Amino acid sequence: MKEKNAGGLVCGTISAQNEKKSCEMGQENLLQVSHLKKYFRTPAGMLHAVDDVSFEIARGKTMGVVGESGCGKSTLGRTLLCLDEPTSGEILFDGTDLAKLKKREMKKIRPRIQMVFQDPYSSLNGRMTVRQLIAEPLLVNKLCKTRNEVDRKVEEMMETVGLAERLATAYPHEMDGGRRQRIGIARALILEPDFVVCDEPVSALDVSIQAQILNLLMDLQESMGLTYVFITHDLSVVRHISDEIMVMYLGKCVERADAKEIFRNPVHPYTKALLAAIPIPSVESLHKVRELLQGEVTSPVNPKPGCRFAARCPFVTEDCLQGEIPLREVEPGHFAACRNI
Amino acid sequence: MAEQVLGVKNLTIQYKTDLETVYAVNGISFSLDKGETLGLVGETGAGKTTTALGIMRLLPERTARVSEGEILFEGRDLQKLSEQEMQKVRGGRISMIFQDPMTALNPVLTVGTQIGEALLLHNEENLSQKEIEAKVEETLELVGIPKERKAEYPYQFSGGMRQRVVIAIALICNPELLIADEPTTALDVTIQAQILAMICNLQRKYGTSVIMITHDLGVVAETCDKVAIMYAGEIVEYGKLKDIFEGEKHHPYTVGLFGSIPSLTGDDRRLHPIDGLMPDPTKKPEGCWFAPRCGRCTEKCRTQAPPVWEKDGHQIRCHLYDAEEV
Repeated sequence: MKEKNAGGLVCGTISAQNEKKSCEMGQENLLQVSHLKKYFRTPAGMLHAVDDVSFEIARGKTMGVVGESGCGKSTLGRTLLCLDEPTSGEILFDGTDLAKLKKREMKKIRPRIQMVFQDPYSSLNGRMTVRQLIAEPLLVNKLCKTRNEVDRKVEEMMETVGLAERLATAYPHEMDGGRRQRIGIARALILEPDFVVCDEPVSALDVSIQAQILNLLMDLQESMGLTYVFITHDLSVVRHISDEIMVMYLGKCVERADAKEIFRNPVHPYTKALLAAIPIPSVESLHKVRELLQGEVTSPVNPKPGCRFAARCPFVTEDCLQGEIPLREVEPGHFAACRNI
Repeated sequence: MAEQVLGVKNLTIQYKTDLETVYAVNGISFSLDKGETLGLVGETGAGKTTTALGIMRLLPERTARVSEGEILFEGRDLQKLSEQEMQKVRGGRISMIFQDPMTALNPVLTVGTQIGEALLLHNEENLSQKEIEAKVEETLELVGIPKERKAEYPYQFSGGMRQRVVIAIALICNPELLIADEPTTALDVTIQAQILAMICNLQRKYGTSVIMITHDLGVVAETCDKVAIMYAGEIVEYGKLKDIFEGEKHHPYTVGLFGSIPSLTGDDRRLHPIDGLMPDPTKKPEGCWFAPRCGRCTEKCRTQAPPVWEKDGHQIRCHLYDAEEV
């Protein structure tokens, strides 16, 4: 797993340490990602969507991935499931390296790794009924022998995700976003996966519906022993649902720590800025003057060496513009990639 | 007492089709003083955008009908203006920031042209083409876009930058009233913070009144002076920011809305959402719209429309507070 590359050395040691630690603690890592890279070729050059990301998730836990649009969090999610082939790196899922699997082998393992997509308005085929939509994964993977078995499973699943039976013959357009997202969740879970990537599953929903779906996802995690990677841009949601949080900026993991720790003690300037930008629903925040982050996310095409956040960072120094900035363990289990801490 | 800019009284809007009638907005009233910000909060289908479009008179002609109520803007009832007069108001005196900056702009015109167009249409001071160009550049700088970028097309801009362009279009005529329909919903938090700060700064600079339509109570807390919580086309709670966030009495829906937000500080693992879904807006209930989802619903709630309880401008439309009428 120790692929030697420019910045990889240090990260490698860290994940090796981590591995040791989690072994000592008797936890089993369901997913272990090391030095994952996904580059896209564009006319302007290589787009570094995910650049050398390493982490691991214990079985039954949730890893929250936060960041702004374009930071590579969705690409990370897709690459984890090999929906996009990784450029390099290793994705160890239950001991198998997904990146090296052949198409046929991948198809076998696919039912165990599933995804809940972001937009319940465009991710469902409008010409299929709810029953057909939920049964589709079973039929595609040929997991059921008889028609009856399929129907029974679909019914069970609909009940699990809280869809009324009468909706089985309805079409997605007849339903609101919350119910559609329940269909999306049902489609992912009907294969009884171990690992689910949730790519912004609630960002298209209203708050009261969002809360229902979050509760549902947490209940299902408990009852089915699911492991989640939960991708979102909403920090309050991620804090609520995650055990561990990874903050991404332009393809890099800039900070990773326990969910509570990262909110209590953010160390990377970007994490700090991100937390400060959340509007808080209380009277004190009226016309509050805040330290605002200037500028926007720069282009991930052929990024300059040094810290990716340097262009927006208020504490930038000469040193930040040189070389790779590795993740350092600032406290046990709390990693950050910054020269100034 | 500050000067009142907008007064909406008993506004009722329905969408009529051959098959059914959708009761989108059901008798809402609110007012807005100069320089004030009103937050219109509610979920999808609560009638927030319909209210905004009603004020702008941009509702779809064939189906929508304002059946009751008046919209007083600077002392004139907007309903009674001719289309020509309305065109002068719309985009000039009242302008709107639309929700989705990705679709609100014309992809085949440069942003400079689109911003200038607003001024060209409301060119009351007979500005020359050159002066308009200068004003476009000035407005671009104001919203934080380098003026060199005015010849670029929308696709060359990021989401946050496009929203700035949309805001520039809305602000170039120095409107009296700005309706911001979920201006930051499509944006990232750091960009959202920038855009909100910018709207607030510009508002203070020009004394513009703002109606901030949003579903995010955090955004409301940061920008609004007054808040109206909408549910199924009604304002269920209305009051000053303090009343809504710290007041003792609340509409059960407001309580549910706050319970649905994941807290950034608390340790509660489970959220407390409101059960059920928004009611079908085509079926007007006899009693309270919220009754089927309400935890404190009584027999009375199902049969009688709730009265408005009021204390020092804090209004709640609920039977719970009947007995204590002032």
